Amino acid sequence: MKKKPSFSHMGWMLTPVALIALVAGCSKENSAPVPEAKAQPKISAITTATFGRDSKDEGERLFGKECAFCHVGTSTGSFMLNRRLPDDQKGNADLNKRSDLEADYVKAVARNGLVNMPAFSKIEISDEDLDKIANYLARKKP
Amino acid sequence: MTSILPRGVSDASFNQALSEFRAIVGNSAVLNSDEDRQSYIDPYAMGDGKDHDSSAIIAPASTEEVQAIVRAANKYKVALWPVSRGKNLGYGTASPAEAGNVILDLSRMDKILDVNEKYAHCLLEPGVGFYDLFYHLQEKKLPLWMSVPGNSWGSVIGNALDRGIGYTPYGDHCEQICGMEVVMPDGEVIRTGMGAMANSTTWQNYKYGYGPSWDQMFMQSNFGIVTKAGVWLQPEPEMTAKVDLAFAKFEDAEWAIDILADLRRRDVIQHNIVFGTPVRAASTMSQRADWYEGEGAIPDSVCEEMMKKLGLGWWNARISLHGHEGVVKANADIIRKALEPKMGKELEFQFWAKGEPMEKAAQGVPTTMGLNCVNWYGGRGGHLGFSPVLSADGKIAFDYAKKVKSLYQEVGQDYYASFTIGRRHINNVGLILYDRDDETTLNRAKKLIDMLLKEAASRGFAEYRSHISYMDAIGDTYDYGNHALRRLNNKVKAALDPNNIIAPGRNGIGSRK
Ligand SMILES: Cc1cc2nc3c(=O)[nH]c(=O)nc-3n(C[C@H](O)[C@H](O)[C@H](O)COP(=O)(O)OP(=O)(O)OC[C@H]3O[C@@H](n4cnc5c(N)ncnc54)[C@H](O)[C@@H]3O)c2cc1C
Repeated sequence: MKKKPSFSHMGWMLTPVALIALVAGCSKENSAPVPEAKAQPKISAITTATFGRDSKDEGERLFGKECAFCHVGTSTGSFMLNRRLPDDQKGNADLNKRSDLEADYVKAVARNGLVNMPAFSKIEISDEDLDKIANYLARKKP
Repeated sequence: MTSILPRGVSDASFNQALSEFRAIVGNSAVLNSDEDRQSYIDPYAMGDGKDHDSSAIIAPASTEEVQAIVRAANKYKVALWPVSRGKNLGYGTASPAEAGNVILDLSRMDKILDVNEKYAHCLLEPGVGFYDLFYHLQEKKLPLWMSVPGNSWGSVIGNALDRGIGYTPYGDHCEQICGMEVVMPDGEVIRTGMGAMANSTTWQNYKYGYGPSWDQMFMQSNFGIVTKAGVWLQPEPEMTAKVDLAFAKFEDAEWAIDILADLRRRDVIQHNIVFGTPVRAASTMSQRADWYEGEGAIPDSVCEEMMKKLGLGWWNARISLHGHEGVVKANADIIRKALEPKMGKELEFQFWAKGEPMEKAAQGVPTTMGLNCVNWYGGRGGHLGFSPVLSADGKIAFDYAKKVKSLYQEVGQDYYASFTIGRRHINNVGLILYDRDDETTLNRAKKLIDMLLKEAASRGFAEYRSHISYMDAIGDTYDYGNHALRRLNNKVKAALDPNNIIAPGRNGIGSRK
């Protein structure tokens, strides 16, 4: 029997966060309505598209193939999560840099989807590969 | 425990079919639990998406497995809905048009079989994603570029089969397909074009073959399952240039489209041009509530504020130029001469020359940034694409834009459009954004799409592509000769697929009501 994932600890992500009214800080290049300093650090679209693909760490490689294009750099996942992060954590939405992710939580979100993130089927990511991705994201960061 | 059965199939017979499927692909490649089927429900569905639920998912790893599945499906009369990667977001994602189909997920067939640098072509399986091909080209340092759609999460082949669009040269994706391998509804495998010769050396070099050319027959259709296809790539140019254009006034659409379409027709501009509204641009980087929290459609005055802050115009386009240095520079001058007097300012092109950092190049790089738009209204967002084809004419497009904007206003929806300009046509890609859990936004979207269908049809415009919930409705608008084309399609369907086991209802073909 599979354990049903619990969403109780996802509370902070699901609550609509007060919207940032500070649109004024936008320049043409970085027009996210998040104050400049609090936006995600800019990396090139090519880096986002190929992150982790040739990594020696299998977990990172799989994260690169399945997740990074949305969750690293200037892309949808990081962008949406950055909006939800509390003020003092803004700019740190990339999943590979987060130090608060637990493996079970990563797996539950991948399988069920969350808000605007679609669910991943077992064909797209096998349970085995998802374990590796989840462990990679939950690893102790230096 | 499957709670939904394929149409006309008994529980017992479906269970037998599932055991045969399992024998073909292995247990782990057949899914039918509620949880697993849920992972294939359209994440952008208008509501819970259960009206397009599948009865199971089967994921073959080879052409031979696809053949065996098709034969078993015929035996039990189980309909299959093939998807390549199934990321058709805005058009139904992986869900079938007819509830109860078994989704045939081809994403495990993900081999890049060949890339030829000299001829700039490749041979792919359907599971190869835009990111996979992009990485392959980077890793092997191949000087070949690709065109990518606004959401690049999907499959190179799947996107081309739905006649998807990109915004650099080679952006008419269906035109880049050269040679296919197809499993027919009776399980036989054919190869189209030059591939019809067993030892052909030119399968990806010449499209048409001998006699009728069948490739188009497998696009937006249900006459076969494509298991391989050749795709033409763009040889890396010597130079590129890019420039963002912001047209200040709504009325500018009329002259701007005429100029851009003429430049496009003459191949000064070699790609489909996105010509989009401020909400289109703003929705990829902000939420509606950042700008406006009132009821009804966002007022023009707020759009103008948004334009000022984001450096946008009422219409926004990115133009890129590709080729040898002399040609790119000459084309940049032609564009300057055509637009600067009208726009009243100098255009600032950003040039890239071979050898310089790739970030500056006008290369197609896969991205999913566009998916941010579903967060416009907040909540669990979704959208529906409604995209009629217009002639590439400024007045026609502008008149239509005015009317459509007023319809959006009438229902209280923020106007979102791109007039994607081709050589002789425009794909008026319109997205109707909603919050899946908010009845008001859903009802508004449904009401609006009905209005748009009628409005477009009354002007002689029909859709280039369709969401699974509107396949028959859009098919109905193709009504010449009492739907003579649909009758032809249905005759072909009945001849090739008498059991209607491949994607019944796809684009209104073989629909069962
Ligand atoms: C914000 C946003 C922006 C978008 N921008 C664009 C854009 O710029 N251009 C664009 O084209 N699309 C765009 N899309 C739509 C869509 O996401 C892409 O077209 C995507 O590539 C389609 O998914 P896919 O490639 O996985 O195709 P699939 O979902 O695999 O295929 C699409 C359909 O083709 C048929 N099919 C697929 N494979 C086969 C096969 N092997 N044999 C027979 N039939 C088959 C099936 O009917 C299937 O449902 C956008 C979507 C969003 C949400």
